[in-house]
Amino acid sequence: MKLDWQNWFYKKHFAQHWERAKKAAKSTPMDHYYDALLPEDMLLDDTPLVALDFESDGLKKDAQLLEAGWVRIIDRAVKLKTAQQLRIQAGSRLQEAAVIIHRITDDAAAKGQQEADVLALLLETLKGSAIVAHGAAVEHAFLNTACLRNFGVPFVGRFICTMHLEKRWFPKQRTADGLRLGKLRAQYGLPSYRAHDGLTDAIACGELFLAQCARRKVENLLLKDVLMKG
Amino acid sequence: MEIDEVISFLKRHAPFDAQSADHIASLARKIEVRYFPRGTVIIDVGKENRALSIVRSGAVELRLGGTDLNHRLGEGGVFGYLSLLHHELTRNKVIALEDCLIYQLPKEDFLKWLKHHESLRIFFAKDDAERLHRAVEGLHRTENGYGDAGMIAVKLETLLRRKDVVTASPNDTIRDAAKRMAQADVSTLPITHQGKLVGIMTDKDLRRRVLGQEIPLDEPVSSVMTPDPITMTLDDGLLSAMLVMSQKNIHHFPIVDSANQIVGVISSSDLLNRFGMNALQVVAEIKAAPDAATVAIAAQRVGAVLTNLIESGVDADHIARFVSNIGETTHRQLLKLAEDQLGPPPVPYALVVFGSLARQEQAGGSDQDNGFVLDDRYNPAEHAPYFEQLATLLCDGLNSAGYIYCPGDIMATNEKWRQPLAVWKDRYRNWIEKPDPENVLNTTIFFDMRCVAGEEGLVDILRAQIFEWSSANRIFLSFIARAASNTKVPLGFFRNFLLQHDEKEGHVLDLKHQAIAPVVDIARVYALALGLADVNSKERLKMAVERGSLGPEEASNLIDCFEFIHSVRFRHQSNQIKRGEPLTNNLSPTSLSRFEREHLKDAFRIIRNHMDRISRTYAGGIQ
Repeated sequence: MKLDWQNWFYKKHFAQHWERAKKAAKSTPMDHYYDALLPEDMLLDDTPLVALDFESDGLKKDAQLLEAGWVRIIDRAVKLKTAQQLRIQAGSRLQEAAVIIHRITDDAAAKGQQEADVLALLLETLKGSAIVAHGAAVEHAFLNTACLRNFGVPFVGRFICTMHLEKRWFPKQRTADGLRLGKLRAQYGLPSYRAHDGLTDAIACGELFLAQCARRKVENLLLKDVLMKG
Repeated sequence: MEIDEVISFLKRHAPFDAQSADHIASLARKIEVRYFPRGTVIIDVGKENRALSIVRSGAVELRLGGTDLNHRLGEGGVFGYLSLLHHELTRNKVIALEDCLIYQLPKEDFLKWLKHHESLRIFFAKDDAERLHRAVEGLHRTENGYGDAGMIAVKLETLLRRKDVVTASPNDTIRDAAKRMAQADVSTLPITHQGKLVGIMTDKDLRRRVLGQEIPLDEPVSSVMTPDPITMTLDDGLLSAMLVMSQKNIHHFPIVDSANQIVGVISSSDLLNRFGMNALQVVAEIKAAPDAATVAIAAQRVGAVLTNLIESGVDADHIARFVSNIGETTHRQLLKLAEDQLGPPPVPYALVVFGSLARQEQAGGSDQDNGFVLDDRYNPAEHAPYFEQLATLLCDGLNSAGYIYCPGDIMATNEKWRQPLAVWKDRYRNWIEKPDPENVLNTTIFFDMRCVAGEEGLVDILRAQIFEWSSANRIFLSFIARAASNTKVPLGFFRNFLLQHDEKEGHVLDLKHQAIAPVVDIARVYALALGLADVNSKERLKMAVERGSLGPEEASNLIDCFEFIHSVRFRHQSNQIKRGEPLTNNLSPTSLSRFEREHLKDAFRIIRNHMDRISRTYAGGIQ
């Protein structure tokens, strides 16, 4: 039972973080979000999931969020009906390198909504759901920073990282870029998509997650079997 | 917000491709994406189906009732609609052949969509047959564009021989320009300034305006050229070009693109060559040919006739008849010339042809299959040399005319196929009464037989005898029916790598053996069972309907299949002719258009069902 310790720590820490954040959220727009704590021993098939991807102008703490894309995964299906793609109004000039990658220009970004509005919508969706992302630590950090910046409340949630999952479930020697989203998708026979658009990446990540779970061939997976821990 | 990836995928695949952009976007939003690893069941038999499925990536196999391989689908393939349309339980089991990403449109969204788009009903039409029938109808409309106006649809682009255009500039001297025309052997010289066409100078201008008026050769071309000549574009039709030529009495005109840049020159002889290349003219030329060499030259034009007919929107059945007509005339004329040379035959005889020419279903690139049926008064010691020489002249002549020697040596030059009627009768009797499963396939070609020259009566007697034996002989019929139903009709040719798994189907689709032969075989079974005198497959099927052995619906479906497959084959051959390649019946599945692919699949399914039927009706009891 080697993962018990890890699980125990995660459980304890998660509960602490959650309670602390829940307290801080009292009478803020995030209050609602902390109403629903997702139990980690629930059946994965019954767990509401949201595949999420942010586009930003960098990976630093003060990076600007440019776009959020998300889609729900219900009943082992990516439901495009629930797909959302929201542009976020930039507070400062974009850093050039990131703009080239994401093909989002100042003008296009300016048409976006206020970061707080986008966050409010997103939190509504995320309430009672686990988040699926490729490299979920980044999404977690972005969400946390943005929530602190806008509402003074940290973000605590259940994260599933498809990159992590691949390493854990299917360990093997890989090239430096062997865990990139596109590379992994190709291994599962998934089509190649134009990279770096928030929604496309969220859908791509959701599909990868379905493929990983299908290949894992384990009946009755629980949420805790797929969670990213620590 | 639009889901770009999904939209762009749907846009590439039928039936979504025909939908408006708004509609595709709204459909995309209704899709649910699921993943099925290789070997998993996507839909099981006898279940309620809740969605229309589209293969986004991977490949699936549909098995009717869970066992019988029915269909394979690759990227863009759509399945599960029949159960939705008819509110039935599923009849196919669908298995992922590879790891699959499947897009599913929920039932209610699918039905709503269908309700508002009548045209979709065609795509999802209950049977393959109806879809194919509409495709065949549509084929002629799109080919032709103007009803039955034929030549009118031919664009100048197809006439232009692509080579560098020789031009001169307005300031060049008349001498230099004339030299250039002589060197390039052209009678028309476009005059361009900075790439733009400003005038034209022809042979006639040199005669009339330069020599006739004694203008010094050092003068610039601009002083004698015809400025601002009449031009046409690549998109103009052949008929309008002819009209302009006859109205303005000009023999050449430059072809320009939208920027008035010269791309070529077309002469009246280019148009006439093209116009003159019709089947009737070739037939007339063959008939008038004084020797075998001239016959060969005329007969070799069959390729040009074929491309011409295809581009004029003529249907496959007529094309095959034109092509066969040229073949038949070639046989007849060569035989006539040989008789002229050798003198009249010592005993009556008939020239028979076998196979596609006998059925009047010939395409390009056919070899020869023929024989002589000699009168029973034939005496080898006395008459053999004459018929041997006659056969040699005929078969050599045919070979030179493009009907290459038969690889199986079924030719009148082979003594075996140059025999008196009595010997022929014995041979057929032997085939019919002692059918050999190994050999039955090799003899079927002889049951498609037609007299093209000589004493037709001899062949009539032979045929009547054959039918008397064949229609009475259930065992023979069962062998023929079994051979017919054993042909491997390809169902999984739609993706290259799937073909690689399948050794029997190979990498290419052999239209002649895998698609046309099965229909021919089916028609022949009816002909032999019912004693039908017709040799043409379409006529045989129609007669089978008249005799009550085949439903009119089934016959017309098979005829549609046949017509469609032939049209694919002719188009394929027409492209080979244009590229200067030898004619074949093999085509790579990737060279098929999506339209052709979809409907070939329908055709194959119809053929396969009918093969089963033939086997049930005639091959009963023999396994």
